[in-house]
Formats: sequence, structure tokens, C-alpha cells
Amino acid sequence: MQIDGEDLLDAPIDCVWQALNDPAVLARCVPGVTALVPTGPDAYDAEIKLAIGPLKGTFKGTVRITEQVPPEAMTLTVDGAAPMGGVNAAGRLALETQGTGTLVRWQAEPKLRGTLATVGARLIGPVSKQQTTAFLKAIEAEARQLASSRR
Amino acid sequence: MTTTTKMIGQAIKRREDPKLITGQGQFLDDVKLTGMLHAVVVRSPYAHATIKGIDASKALALPGVVAVFTGEDMSDINPLPCAWAAGKVDNNLNTPRALAVGKAMHVGDGVALVVAEDRYIARDAADLVEVDYEPLAVVVDAKKATEPGAPQLHENAPSNIVMDWECGDREKTDAAIAAAEVTVREQIVNQRLIPTPMETRGSVARYEPATGEFTVWMTSQAPHVMRLLLAAFVFGIPETSVRCISPNIGGGFGQKIFVYADMAFTMWAARKLGRPVKFVEDRAENYQSSTHGRDHITDVEIAGTRDGRITGLRIDTLANLGGYLSTIAPGIPTTLYGRITTGVYKIPAAHCRVRGVYTNTAMVDAYRGAGRPEASYLIERMVDRFAAEIGMDPAEVRRRNFIPPEDFPYSNGMGLLPYDSGNYGPALDRALQIVGYDALRAEQAEARKQGRYLGIGLSSYVEICGVAPSAWIGLPGEGWGAGLWESANVRVHLTGKVVVTTGSLPHGQGLETTFAQIVADELGVPYDDVVVEWGDTSGTPFGFGTYGSRSLAVGGTAIVKTVAKVREKAKLLAAHMLEARVEDIVWEDGKAFVKGSPDQVKTLGDIALQAAVAYSLPEGMEPSLDETTYYDPPNCTFPFGTHVAVVDIDADTGAVSLRRYVAVDDVGTVINPLIVDGQLHGGIAQGVAQALTEGAIYDDDGQLVTGSLLEYAVPKASLFPQFETDRTVTRSPVNPLGVKGAGEAGTIASAQAVMNAVIDALQPFGVKHLQMPATSERVWNAMHGGTRGARS
Amino acid sequence: MTTTMAIKVTVNGETRVADVEPRTLLVHWLREDLALTGTHIGCDTSQCGACVVHVDGRAVKSCTMFAAQADGCAVTTIEGLGAADALHAVQDGFWEEHGLQCGFCTPGMIMTAAELLARNPDPSEAEIRHALEGNLCRCTGYHNIVRAIQHAAKGATA
Repeated sequence: MQIDGEDLLDAPIDCVWQALNDPAVLARCVPGVTALVPTGPDAYDAEIKLAIGPLKGTFKGTVRITEQVPPEAMTLTVDGAAPMGGVNAAGRLALETQGTGTLVRWQAEPKLRGTLATVGARLIGPVSKQQTTAFLKAIEAEARQLASSRR
Repeated sequence: MTTTTKMIGQAIKRREDPKLITGQGQFLDDVKLTGMLHAVVVRSPYAHATIKGIDASKALALPGVVAVFTGEDMSDINPLPCAWAAGKVDNNLNTPRALAVGKAMHVGDGVALVVAEDRYIARDAADLVEVDYEPLAVVVDAKKATEPGAPQLHENAPSNIVMDWECGDREKTDAAIAAAEVTVREQIVNQRLIPTPMETRGSVARYEPATGEFTVWMTSQAPHVMRLLLAAFVFGIPETSVRCISPNIGGGFGQKIFVYADMAFTMWAARKLGRPVKFVEDRAENYQSSTHGRDHITDVEIAGTRDGRITGLRIDTLANLGGYLSTIAPGIPTTLYGRITTGVYKIPAAHCRVRGVYTNTAMVDAYRGAGRPEASYLIERMVDRFAAEIGMDPAEVRRRNFIPPEDFPYSNGMGLLPYDSGNYGPALDRALQIVGYDALRAEQAEARKQGRYLGIGLSSYVEICGVAPSAWIGLPGEGWGAGLWESANVRVHLTGKVVVTTGSLPHGQGLETTFAQIVADELGVPYDDVVVEWGDTSGTPFGFGTYGSRSLAVGGTAIVKTVAKVREKAKLLAAHMLEARVEDIVWEDGKAFVKGSPDQVKTLGDIALQAAVAYSLPEGMEPSLDETTYYDPPNCTFPFGTHVAVVDIDADTGAVSLRRYVAVDDVGTVINPLIVDGQLHGGIAQGVAQALTEGAIYDDDGQLVTGSLLEYAVPKASLFPQFETDRTVTRSPVNPLGVKGAGEAGTIASAQAVMNAVIDALQPFGVKHLQMPATSERVWNAMHGGTRGARS
Repeated sequence: MTTTMAIKVTVNGETRVADVEPRTLLVHWLREDLALTGTHIGCDTSQCGACVVHVDGRAVKSCTMFAAQADGCAVTTIEGLGAADALHAVQDGFWEEHGLQCGFCTPGMIMTAAELLARNPDPSEAEIRHALEGNLCRCTGYHNIVRAIQHAAKGATA
């Protein structure tokens, strides 16, 4: 399933970009993250608590950032496994200055496996959208803070 | 005394029911043994993956967990056998093991087994088992699996081909099609279905270390066969070391015929741990790892004349068999499909090629009808396509091509034993009369003018029942290499009560009632004096079980033959007791008397008592009235009929509603009409469901999207009208009862009746074919010129 | 799980007291602890209805409810509805009209139907089919189940 959306963040593009590339920020912003440990350039081991409908679990997996085109685009790939199945989502983010803020267009194809795939399939769309928006909201706050500290 | 009322033909209510309607049935999950442990399987979330490692340490640390086992631990037992390597599968029989070793072949493939004190703990612990997978490339579609570059699932099966099988006359068929006035070509998909018995499957195994004996309770339609396969093939121990018991079975529909991993791993774990082990699937597991049905992609061409004669039929089918071969998987799309693809028609030239294919999906094996619904759907869709092409009424095309009654026994040229008996015209006429065909056609024409879409669909079918004859499936390369004969034992206790044990295995078919009715008549004893027993390999003679609509035609005949033996012996003994010649003994209503002297009489009870005490028996006669028969029928039986579906299509939404459903079936002699009608209703419902709602869908990564009852659309009561059933009766000459079989006929007949009706309704939109299921989305798209019946 | 909860439930007219894990499903408590195995489990997503029992007179899928939630309630299972020698009208209807084949869905079907007839003693065919939306049967095509319920309704209103 392909899902996409766009969110307008009230922060300058370079601050958004910086926030997106800071593991500490990511750890604070990815919803449900309980641990994010760098394992290499732009690669992390992650532990994420997530609920998809009736299925709740702690996903263990990796977060990778690839195909970076600073400060305009990046691909954020999350792969996690939990007892009830696994999720793999590659999200492409495109950043663009719009007025004083940054428009983030995103596009993702979450793939589920195991019980998640059978029970969670029809829920994954809305959940992904909600999670992405929550993530970008948190990034926005971080980026605004960066912007104000620069002043 | 006058003759008692005949029981055969009576719609008496079932003796099975009092227990079941009061909650006293004993199903698999009701089995509780002292010290019993509970097993839960850790299953692969990947459709195709290398298993790199399994870490059970956290699971083992959980209090209450007794053990965690892997496939490697169970390497001392063999993979499950494929018992029906039809289609000449010889060198690539890839079958599952108790647990996967090295590689997982489909989502839900068992990877590890957790055994714990209770099922909640086992379930918790399964979540703590960490499996390291390396995902591999996946293929789920049979066509894609055969294409160059597709992932190769098994080294010994190039292009993932299981077998390449054919029947009929290729050259003659090619010539007939080349020379034909009219040809119609179509690609017809018979989608994958999940059988969905309401009770899932499971096993409970107990091992006695002192004797080395196993007792296994199982949800099996064929416990004797399971005992043979588990003992001789999987464990390499004598059959006498294994006792298999089928308690009440909550529906089977084919899915419970086969040997499954859980039978093997519960036995293995019970032996290893010295305690009984229970495993019961949850519904998700049933969907992911028990067998599925159908899943054919067929390129088909039918040829004929402008005046409605069918002259040729050419079929090329890809049958998706899943990641491994199930117990009788190769036999379904070959023996039980290809050989009956010409249906009720006299077609001078036909050829059918079938390739079985491995894919990263659950195994595909028999599901109600098993091959015959696929065949019947194919030919009946193509006859409608042909009728539309030449502009002739589909009823008329059918009539013109029916095998005429004088041609029986009829050989269809596809390598089947001859059709036993048939008279197809009257069933068609009766169905059309009941439904009011001409009036409906007039209504349809009127409705179309008003923008309403009504469709009428016909299905004239024939099927194969009594799957058993060694003369057919005993052929090497065709079947088991053995006949599927059936057994019966009849013994008369000294009180005159009659006990019948059968190798058949009723699981909803009402055989306990039906068999008692037969014995009551054949022996002339009160129905209530007859007890029918089954289901336990210790206590019943070997039998091949219940499937393939074989229990009455084969198991019932075994009973009739046994009763005849009992009667003959009783007459001999009566003659001795009455000091008469046996030629002068008359048997009536369970009594023997001397011809002309009805007062000189011995009841069956008198005779049984004499036989039991054994004092003063005739010279050489053995004590006891107790006889056994093993019956290998000379032929199958071939029920037939015509079904008519009437549908209305909502022009705005494409939703199909089934207005009426008429079924006229000929199942030969009917023993209990109540039960026969019930079998037909249920069968019809499953075929209607295939046409309108059901379909198992895997995504490209091999995830089963329809993995629960939330997504897999088992129909609810509101989908159906009350069915209108009627019958004609053409006795089968194959068995003394004249019975044919009714367990699968409804399913074999119904999907195409509904689809023909849907497509008939869509004729104003130029729709010539639509793939199943006819969901409102698919129908709406067809009405609006969208993609014509995309696969999913 | 170490914590348990004390519950007191009237089951088929008998007071039952137990300590249960908070997560124990009502259906498991009935089947495993009380040995009332007439209530069946046919799915894991509350679709099939094989586990329907009456809780304070209402038809409830006992797999959607924790045993702890039944504390203080009156539960009736198929075993408590009627006995072989004193069948409930719906049980009798199922027998008379061949409303069951394998019998696995039957207890849930009967419990649902009994509640329907308690609410609506003379339902139409459409109302019966609607009432059965939460119960799946794979054997009968529902044809004889509908007739069985009509039979029971006729008996009750006669």
C-alpha cells in the first residue's frame, strides 16, 4: 500500500534538515522510540513501542537514512520485528521552502508481515499517517528551537 | 406380522444430534489428559527465508515453559509423506517436516515449538523465541513462478514445476479446433479458497514409555490412513504402536484429510517429554498453515459449430500447489480434475494439460469437490461463452450436447472409468420448469429496458463420487498405487442388538443415522437396535475414511455386503435350529421361518444367542454372528443435475444479490432425504461463496492478506435465499443400493450457476467473462468498462 | 502473571467462585476451569460466534469478554439451556429441522437464536438471518438453521 501526505512545518528548511539528521532528535521525535543507538553513518538500532489497532508491541529493528540530497530529500527506512510480526517502511521525504516555513512531502510504502499483515493491513494506512504527522510535528518543534537558538 | 416400514428413503431426524445440541459433543479441544502440556508453534512471518538461528533462552526462562524444540531437534523423524503422487511426480516430492529445517517456505511455516504447562504461558513464551531470518525472494503466483528469473523454491524442481501431466487426445483436439466454425478462448481463474471448517485442526498425543505405544487424538477425516502414514512413513515404527482417534469433528471439507506437522510434533514431543501434549490451531494458524483449495489459472479454448455442437475442448492449467506438497495434492488437479473436464457433454475431441507449481504459499490440496468444481466451473463457463458467441440460448446448447441416456456407461476419452448412469435432460427440464425459465427471460428483457439487471445462470454438472476403485486410482502414476477400499464389520450381540463398525469417518454427514437406516432394512431389525461405531483405529477395521463423497457408495456398500453375510449365516443356523433345509428358510423382518410355516420362527436374537453360546452349532460353523467386508468397488459413481441461479445486480453499486437458487440433483437412491438436502444446501453455499465473496489473497511478499475471518469473507446467513431443491433418481448400477453420493455435488454445481447468472446480467455491458469472486467492486468496474476481472 | 482476581459468577444457576488471571477470557474459564466444553472456540477475531453464551440474558461472544468482567453476572451456557430429556424449543427446532451437521457452531447458534426469540418471539426470515450475522456456519448454508428457528418460534407462539 502506498501512502503519502504533506505537512507544512513552521521552521526554516536547514533547521528541519539538521533536526532530521540528529540521532538525539530522532530518538525524541520518532513516536514510541525507547532506544536509538547509532551503528554507523546514518544507521541506528532502534526499539519502538507501537500499537496498530488491537496489536501492541515493542519492535526491535533498524533505522537507516539514505539517498540524502541536503537539504531537500532523504529516505528514512524503518525495519522492525515484534512477536506479532514485522514492519518495513521506506519513507521518502522531500523538503521545500515555503514562505518562512518548510513544506514536507512524504511518501511511504509500509509492508507488514506475520499476524500484523493479516490483522493490521487495513489499519496500517491511518496509523502510518498519524505517526508521520506526529513525527513531523515533533521535528517542527525541534527545528524551531534550533532556529531560535541560532538567532 | 406385516413388513415394517422401510427405513430407506425416510426423512428421519439424526441420532447424532441430541449430544451436539446440548453441548455434550467431544471435540478435539475438549480432550484433557492428566499431566497434559500445551504446545504453541513459532511461525515464520516471511514467505521465503533462510533460518539462520533460533534463540530460545528467554522463552525457556519463563516459568511454566517445559521445552522449546526446533526442526533440527526432530531430525530423527522423516518428512510427512505425499501419498498420492499422481501425474507422475517422481523426483521432486518436497513435503513438509514436523518443523521447518533451514528454510521457511511460506508465511506460517512452523519454525519452533514451545511446550508449556498451560496455553497462555506457551503463547507468551512463543513471543520470546528469537528467530534470525534472512529473507529470500518470493513468488506466490503460479504463472510467475514458471517464468524465467523466478525464485527457485526447491533445487529438484526446475521452474518450480511439480509435474507436467496430460490426458485426452492432443492431436485430435488441435485438429478439431483448427477446423472449427467457431472457437472461443478464455483465461479462467479458479481462485484460491480456504476451506474454513468451523473447528480448527489439532492433535493431542500421549506416549506410554512402558509399551512404546502412542495414542493420538486428531481432527482427522481418515484416522486409519493417518496411523499408517505416521507410523510407517514418519516415525518408522509398526502401525500397531499407534492408535489414532477422531472424536467429533467440527467440519472438514477436505482440509482434515491430510497428515499434518502437528500430528508428528505432538507425538515426538510427548515421547521426548513423557507427558501428553496438546496442540490446537488458532484461526490465523489454520489460515496460514493448513491446506487451501483450488487456485488454478487456465487457458481454455472451446470449438463448435454455428448450430451449437461442441467439437473440441483444449485446456492448459497451472495449478498452484503451495510451498510443499500436501498428502494428496498432485491427485487433485490431475485425476480428479483433468479427467472430468468434458462434463456432461459428448465432446469428440478434448485434451487437458496440467502443470502443478510450487509457490511460497500454504499447501493446496482437496477442498470440497477437489478438482471437480474446477472442472465443472471451467466447462460450464465455456459452454455459456460458446452459447453467447453463436447467439443461442444456453439451455439449448446444453441440451444439444448432453451425453444421451443410451450412451451409458459412457467413456469420455479422458482416461476415466466410464460414467455409470445418467439422464441429463430431465434434470435440466425440471430445473427450468421450477425456476420459470421462460418467464424469467421475459422479465429480464423487460428489466433491461428499465435499466435493471437480472441474470439467469445455468449449471449442468456431473461429478465423480466414491473415489475408491483400485481399477482406477490403483494404477501406478495415477493414484496411491492402491485402491481406497472401505471396510465394515457387523456383529449381532446375543441380545439381538446390532453393532456396525465402519472405516468411514462421519463429521457432519449423518452417517450414523444413514448407516443405521440401511442396516435396519437389510437385516429387518428395528432402527433403534442398530448402533454405528467409528473413529478409533483400535476397534474399527482399517478404512480409508470420509472424503470424495465416498462414504455411502463405498462404506455403505461394504455394510450392505456384510449384512448379507450375517443374514446368510443366520439363515444357516436357523435352518439347523428349526431342523429345516436352508433353501426352505425365509428371512423377513429380522426373523427366519420355514416356508409355509410362519409359526416355526427364530428371531435374530434367538439366532444370535445360539451363535454366541455356540452349543449345538451346525458342523463346521464358527460361533458368533460377526462378519467383516473389505469392499473395492468396480467403478465410481457419477451424480449429476442442473442448478439455476437468479441474480439481481444493483446498477449503482455493482452489488450482486442472489434472488433464487434452484437445484435439481440426481444422486441416485436417497436413503435419508433430510440429510441429502442438508448436504446439498451446505455444498451450494460453499460454491455460491466462491462466486460472490471468498478468495484467499497473498500480496507480492507472500503475506496472507486474508489471514483472518475479518478479511476472508466466509458468507453469513444474509447472503442466501432459501434454496429450492428437487431431484430426479437414476440408480447407479455400480452398487446394490443404487446410490451415487451427495457430499460435494452442491459445491461442484454452484459457483458457475452464480457466475453464469452474473455474467448473463452484465451482457448489456458487453461483459463476456468475469473472474470470481464477483464482488461489487469488480462488477461495477466491469459495468463501467474497467479492467475486466483483474486477478485480485 | 502473578496477580489474580476473585470473581463470583452464577453459571447455569450455580454460584461459582474463582481466582482468575485478569486476562483469562470468559470462554477459557468456562471451558478449562468449569469443564463446560459445549461452548466452542472457532476463531480469534470474534467473528464466528461459536462461543456465544448468555450473560444476564444477553447473547455475548464469550471470547470477547474477560472472566473478570462476568463477576456478579449470571451466565448461561448451552449446557444450562436445556437437557437431552428437556430440550429448549430452539434445541428441539435444530433437531427437528436438521439445523446442524458437524455441530461445532451449533451451541453458539442456539444461544443466539434463543436470545432472538426471547426478544422477538415471531421473527421474519429476514430478521432471523440478520440476527445470525455474528454466527458462522460452514455446513448448512443456513437454510435449515433458519427453518429450525422458525420451527422453535412456531412452537413458542402456538
